Formats: sequence, C-alpha cells, structure tokens
Amino acid sequence: MNPHRHDFIRSCLSSSPLTSPPHNNNNNNLSYLDVGCGGGIFAESAARLPTTLSVTGIDASPVILTVARQHAKRDPSLGQKLTYVNSPIESLTLAPVDIVTCFEVIEHVDYPSRFLGELVKFVKPGGWVVMSTIARTWTSWVTTNLVAEDILGVVPKGTHDWYKYLHEYELREWFGKENQREGRKIWGEARVMGVVFVPGCGWREVRGSEKVGNYFFGVQRLV
Amino acid sequence: MEALIRRRAAYVCQSCVRGARQQLWRNYSSAPPRPDIYDVVCVGGGPAGLSLLTALRANPNTSHLRVALVEAQDLSKIRSWSLPPTKFSNRCSSLTPSSVKFLEQIGAWEHMARDRVQPYQEMQVWDGVSGARIEFDWAGAAPNTGTTIAYMTENLNLTSGLLKRLEELGGVSTFDNARVENITYGEETEELDLREWPVVQLSGGKQLSARLLVGADGANSPVRSFANIEAKGWDYNRHGVVATVELEGEGWGGEFTKIAYQRFLPTGPVAMLPMPGNYSTLVWSTTPSNAALLKSLSPKDFTAMVNAAFRLSTVDLEYMHTQKSGQEEEYSWRMEHTPVDQRAVPQVVTSVQEGTVASFPLKLRHADTYVAERVALVGDAAHTIHPLAGQGLNQGQGDVQSLAKTIEYAVTHGQDIGVGMSLESYVSERYAANHVLLGVCDKLHKLYSFGSGPLVPLRSLGLSAVNALGPLKAFVMNQAAGNGIKVF
Repeated sequence: MNPHRHDFIRSCLSSSPLTSPPHNNNNNNLSYLDVGCGGGIFAESAARLPTTLSVTGIDASPVILTVARQHAKRDPSLGQKLTYVNSPIESLTLAPVDIVTCFEVIEHVDYPSRFLGELVKFVKPGGWVVMSTIARTWTSWVTTNLVAEDILGVVPKGTHDWYKYLHEYELREWFGKENQREGRKIWGEARVMGVVFVPGCGWREVRGSEKVGNYFFGVQRLV
Repeated sequence: MEALIRRRAAYVCQSCVRGARQQLWRNYSSAPPRPDIYDVVCVGGGPAGLSLLTALRANPNTSHLRVALVEAQDLSKIRSWSLPPTKFSNRCSSLTPSSVKFLEQIGAWEHMARDRVQPYQEMQVWDGVSGARIEFDWAGAAPNTGTTIAYMTENLNLTSGLLKRLEELGGVSTFDNARVENITYGEETEELDLREWPVVQLSGGKQLSARLLVGADGANSPVRSFANIEAKGWDYNRHGVVATVELEGEGWGGEFTKIAYQRFLPTGPVAMLPMPGNYSTLVWSTTPSNAALLKSLSPKDFTAMVNAAFRLSTVDLEYMHTQKSGQEEEYSWRMEHTPVDQRAVPQVVTSVQEGTVASFPLKLRHADTYVAERVALVGDAAHTIHPLAGQGLNQGQGDVQSLAKTIEYAVTHGQDIGVGMSLESYVSERYAANHVLLGVCDKLHKLYSFGSGPLVPLRSLGLSAVNALGPLKAFVMNQAAGNGIKVF
C-alpha cells in the first residue's frame, strides 16, 4: 500500500495552487511529520524522495523505534533527512511541517477527536494533513477481523477494534466543525480515495470503496 | 609512549597501561574509508548494460541515481570504432521496431551510424527438405503498419552509438579494462549496516558498493553465480557460423525493398540478412564439424558452399560437407542439374570479407529467476536463445526497458531500488514472456531438424497454412516485432 500513499500525496499537492509549481518553489524541500511511524516504512520512503527536505517520525513505542533506526542504517542515503522521536503527539515539540501523515493509526486511538486536534497543530499554512484509515462497515469487519485475524491469522488477534473505525464523512465533519468554530475556512475540501486489496494483484485504487473499506483522506490547511 | 604513561600513571596496573596504550594508537590510526556507494553498479558493457545505463541517465526521474559501469574490455576501442562503407563487422543483429523505438526514446538511435543500418521489408523462409515456403511482408499482412520488418545492425554500431549517448549524458562512473576479481558483502558499522549490499572488487583494488547490482555480463554471468541463481537448459550441439559477404547486386527488390532469407536445413537454418549496398551478413547454424570445415575453406570454396546452402538439395550439401576442398567446382557442376527459381533465393554471393568467418556455440539457457536481494539480471545473463528468429538481443532490450521502468517506479515511490519487493514487477513482466519465446524457438529448431519422416510433410502443411492465413501471419509478425498484444 505504501506506493499508493505517495501517489495520493502527489495528487493532493498538485490539486492546489498553493502546493504546485510555480508557487511552491517546485516542491523540492518538503518537510514531513509521520505520526505513528512504526518501523518506518512510510518515513523511510518519504525520506528517499528527491523532493524531501526532512522527515520526522514519531511513535509512542521505544521498541519499534529501535527497529526503525536499525532498519534505517541499511540505507546510506537516509542519513540526515530522517529522524525518529519517541514521543506521543501530545508532548511533541516540532516546528510546523509541510505534510503531516498519519497512516493506519487513528483507528487504534481511543479519543480520535482529541488526537486530531493535537495532530493538526503541526501543519503549516498551505500544508496538508494526509491520513489513511478504515470505514466501519460489515465488509470491513469481515475482511479485517474475520478473515485477517480469525481465519487466516495474518494479523495478530486484537489488532483491530472495529468500533474504532471511522467513516470518511466523520473525518470531514470534524474539519468542518473546526472551520465553524473558527468562523473561517481554515481547512479546504477534503480529498478521499478508496483502496481495495485484491489477492494476487495487490492494492488497487477503487473510487467509491471509501464507503466500504480502506481509504486515504487528505485535507489542506488554507491559512 | 610507554614512558609517558608510566610517568603519569605510576600506580596503574600493567594491563590498564597496555589498554591505554592501545586506545591511544587507535585514536591516531585512520578510520576505515567510507565505502564507495553507488545506486546501480552495472557489470557488463554490452548492448544490454549500456542500454540500461542510458535509460537511467536519460530519464529525469532516475538521472540523480549514482551509477557505475564495469567492463572487462577497453571501451575506447568501441568509442573509436569505424569501418569504411565496404566493410562490415560479422556480429550483426536484427533490431525489432520495438527495440528501435526504445533506442529512440533514450536518445541512442540518433548516435548510431544510420548509413550502416539496413531496414528490410520482406522475409522469405522455406523448408530445405520440402520447399514449403512462407513470405513475410507488412504490405501483405497488415497494410497500415508501415513497411519495415526489422533493422539489420552491426552490434558494434549499436554499442558505439550507446556509448556516444552516454558520453553526451555524462554522470556514469566508468571502470573499463577492469575485471571483477570478487563480489562480497558489505559490513556493519556504527552508522551503516551494509551487510546485504554487494561489494564489487575490481582488479586494481577499487571497491564499489551497490544498492542494486545489475548482471549484464553475458551467458556465463559471474553476477548470476554470485547471486546463487542457476541457469538451466541445454547445448544445441550446433555452432552459428557468421560471415560478411558481398552479393552480385543490391537484392532482388532493389535498394528500397531489402529481403532477408532463411532456409531450414536438417543441420540447422542458414540465414542471409541484408546490409547496405551489396553486402549481407550470414548466420549459418550447423553442426560443430560442419562449422569447423566451413571455417577452414578457401574464400572461393566458402562462397560456393554458401550459394549451395540456399540452392542445392540437402543430399548435395551433405556430400559437399565431406570435401576438404573443391566445393567451388562441385557446386557449379551440381548447379547444372538443379533447377532453381533465382528470385526465390538470395542473389549469388561473389566474395566473402576477409577475416569475418567465425563461429560461436549455440545453447539454450534460462536463469531460474532474474532477481535476488540487490541483484538483477538482464540480457544473456538471464537467458540464451537459438538465433533462428533473431530475438536474442531484442529480448535483452526488452528486459532493460522493463527494469528501467521498475527502477523508475521504485524511485518515484521512495522505495529502495535494490530490495526484493521493488524488483518483483520486473520478473513478473519479463520471465514468462521470455520463457515462451525460448521455448518456441527451441521447438522450431527441433521441428526442422528432421530430414525425413512424417514431421516433414506435417510441418510443411503448417507453414503453408500460416502463409495463407493473413490474420495468423500478421499475429506471428507482430509478436516477432515486439509490438503484438501481450500474450504472456
């Protein structure tokens, strides 16, 4: 799924005049904050892009960050571009970045609204918040819980709590409420892309599948 | 040193003094040199290796990669290669339109000596035993496709064109006249873990650490052995005899309709492929003993044998292969009694270019897979095919095109290009397609090795049928040209 994350981010950046050439200095010095970076699959891939200036990956688990740092040693090109910080989002100090990413994390968080509130503090005006999560439907229960955890055992039991899944319209509403609260349009129109895992073919973008299963969600801070 | 420590540390025990002494020495010695790291190290400067590097350098998405070329031969000889218009190198290949399109895309086609490239518009292929014939030309099969079937090119023309383009692009660390002494793995240090990175050690001491090591190093690929990938197949017990010959004219179709000929003899196919002017290149696949004989003949006897190969019966040819010399007389006597449609065979060979008669053994090999962690194989390192359908070099170009695309995708999606997951799409795109082509050419060779028996009329019927069925013939031509629908 990781390659699709980059395609989605690119589509977000090029959809807005603020983040596409010529206004944006050709997108060649983007800073990222990857929240819940885990072993660094996304963080490393972002650090490798020639357009990236820096990537900060944070995770609450020190153990996983040891794994991430050990893995990052295998690629000399990552060097100074990639930093890992062991901190939850609430106690993080970092200058605002161009892109805040949060992939497959929010469905594991107890209080998503509060979590989002903390997360969005780190995005610069003109920058993007890009997330991915899973819709709360019968289908997603069957695929992620029944098949993946119970039947095939490819995901450890208890990884996913279906009650924590979020619909894309719920995320949209959250950002809409922020706009209302502030009395002005801080956040732009959200971009959404559904993706489906096809056994044998891999992940595929499928328009409309955000109503059913996994999806990407991107929103731009306008001011 | 010791005196210094003893004076300052009068009450320190012996082993601590020794330890301190060692520490001091370590601080004064230099740290191990940082490894010379490349994104792509390509071993092999033939058509496949050079094409790959050109493709990577020419594409803005991959041009920032640090790349190196390792080649055992002296590349300056290829760079400065030039022959007069009356002489042609004996190693030639037929480039399909698909390969040419790729070469155009990467900007190499314009650097080739185009007056030495011969497009051809017609192919005549026939059974040496039964005479059954198939005629290929686009005008008949698919009128709107353009007329060129393929382009005959000297391999040196191709490689020197690629080298010129690479020079134009710049940015390749070139190590020619360099043999690969050994390939090992890197080490783990405080800051880097290169235990999975191949390190190429060259004669002369240079060491190149490769994010992705590409084996474009031919049929006996050392990179393939390093990766513990086996190549399975068999030897054909045949040799391909090549030569540059001059014919009595420009060809029956004249300058603008050049014709390629291939006659299937039981010992193997003999092909006459048109080059510019009155010249042609010969590729005659035959038994090792026949090949040895052909190479030993005087120029006049050799040209007689070549003319005989396209005209006389297989029985006559068999006899002539037993003569140590005198084929010239034998040929003219036997021709008095052999009716031949002149226009159905190549024009008469009048002379053979000195020093161009050579041979190479034919075999079939297919590597078990094309990739390993941080290793990829392209071209002959991955597969070796029978030359009868002119596909080998084109397969290599197809591999390169696919690998370059795979690398581009990995780079634009932040992937480490050498990791197995990044390379998978290359294997899935190329492996099955190559396997089928290897198999088809192998079966054609086997089918036409029968001099008698029921297979002869059966295959003749089949050949005539394909000749008559337009859409089927167009399908075959498209597949061979590399622009047909992807069946595999």
